[in-house]
Amino acid sequence: MLGQRLLPWDYGVRNLFRRPSRTALTLGGLTIVVLLVLVVVGFIRGLEKSLAATGNPNVVLVYSLSSAADIENSSIPGRTPALLAASVDGVRRLHGVEYVSPELYLATRILTANLQEPGMGLVRGVTTKAPLVRGQVQLVRGTWPQSGEVIVGRLAHSKLGTSEEDLAIGQQVTFDGQTWMISGQFTAAGSAFESEIWAPLADLQTVLKRQDLSLVAVGMDSPDRVADVDLFCRERVDLELKAVSESAYYAALQKHYKPVRMLGWIVVALVAGSGIFAGLNTMYGAVVGRVRELATLQALGFRRRAILLTLVQEATLLACAGALAACLVGLLFVDGAAVRFTMGAFMLEVDSVGIGVACGVAALLGIVGALPPALKAMRLPVVEAIKAI
Amino acid sequence: MRTDLLALPLIVGLVMSTGCGASPASSSQPSSAAANIDASQFTLAEEPDGAVGVIAARESAENGAPLVLVGRVGGSAKPWIDGRAAFTLLDASMDVVADGEDSEEGELCMGDCCATERLNCTTLVKVVDEQGKLVPVDARELLGLKESDMVVVQGTAKKDESGNFVMIARGVFIRN
Repeated sequence: MLGQRLLPWDYGVRNLFRRPSRTALTLGGLTIVVLLVLVVVGFIRGLEKSLAATGNPNVVLVYSLSSAADIENSSIPGRTPALLAASVDGVRRLHGVEYVSPELYLATRILTANLQEPGMGLVRGVTTKAPLVRGQVQLVRGTWPQSGEVIVGRLAHSKLGTSEEDLAIGQQVTFDGQTWMISGQFTAAGSAFESEIWAPLADLQTVLKRQDLSLVAVGMDSPDRVADVDLFCRERVDLELKAVSESAYYAALQKHYKPVRMLGWIVVALVAGSGIFAGLNTMYGAVVGRVRELATLQALGFRRRAILLTLVQEATLLACAGALAACLVGLLFVDGAAVRFTMGAFMLEVDSVGIGVACGVAALLGIVGALPPALKAMRLPVVEAIKAI
Repeated sequence: MRTDLLALPLIVGLVMSTGCGASPASSSQPSSAAANIDASQFTLAEEPDGAVGVIAARESAENGAPLVLVGRVGGSAKPWIDGRAAFTLLDASMDVVADGEDSEEGELCMGDCCATERLNCTTLVKVVDEQGKLVPVDARELLGLKESDMVVVQGTAKKDESGNFVMIARGVFIRN
């Protein structure tokens, strides 16, 4: 087949400009289809990355045995951090400071200056040890919160459903009957922490009238030492604690969201399918109007396969141009857009996988969308096709 | 032309088979720690006499006293401690039902909702060496154990005032 005489490459290119309106409309439609695919794949990738980025294999979470991995419902004694630090070997230490972070975690209604109704937000009571254990957390603006202050994650505004300016440094938030001043903003490498608000643990316990904790996060010297915390929790059954490595915890959450991800891929397939049908419709119309032209090419001596290749080339060129435009729009406007979700908020991720899938769908649209109408046009005898109006 | 058509898939297949190449090294090789430890010193050739169940041992065993314990490996969604010769032992009289199913008397649900109920009929077994140190090899690898294996463990009881009961094992016998 490759040894046959093919139509010139630029013949297919020039054909696209012969009918500029039709070409532009088809290009627009294909761009939208590919952009939709990019957005859905970006949603899936963003969700996966958020959960993966949150899990550190060196960190072990210790929470209540009966809370069934629902950390918000977990309640463990306040003395647990000291007990763990004293009883377990392999806890990471730096200049005598143990990597043991006691935390109080809750979902609560939060009011800001510009919200008419309180939004559901995530609050974590922490000490200064939290950034040691949660190594991906970085304070990028402002200062660490003192009494009566909080710091907000980069996506906390998205979780609350308010604007970024509403959670700027110096603004106030109100929850659980207390008003807090925002003293800083932090990032966390795209992890789930970015949708949270962090307050001083002691203040939060006072406001909530609680002395217990939700969990203790312990940084170990190596992933292998995580088993020692598990061993301690199973020996001391009187404490009713459970130890899970942070990466295993968020891997389990990933599984929990697997149906959502599967649904996302189904949507991608449906969108791609609808794009193919739309492309088929367009190409049928385009080929019907060129029956005489295609018959003339056959009369000139070009084989049917060569003409078919040209038609596929035109459609694929158009689809790939649409993919390029969609990827540009995706990178400029979709990548990094915050999405509110049940477990917090995360950013849409337009990465190499998303672009690869989008371009693959575009190539498929071009090839599959052009083949049936092209094959149909090739079936007509040359003499009848030349006489066609 | 026909030759070209046939050649193309052959070339593609050749490239793909070369790219896929040799299979990676098997991931089921024993760890280096296991290779340095003689597992036979922790395996009993015969079943020791006088075995008691986990529930009975919880009530009657004394701290530091020799003990022979019989039970089934399990009693937890994950009865193993990764990388350590330790596992959870369930009293042989208890059966396990699937997570979420209603459990009757003598049955245990493995979900976290029943975690505190399981504490009374399970115990942690730690296999230690002559120095009393926990063997740093996964029990599945060291002893060839599988979940639900019925085992008889010989060792010493460890109890404290809070009611925590742990079996310090020197030898394990697997019933067939």
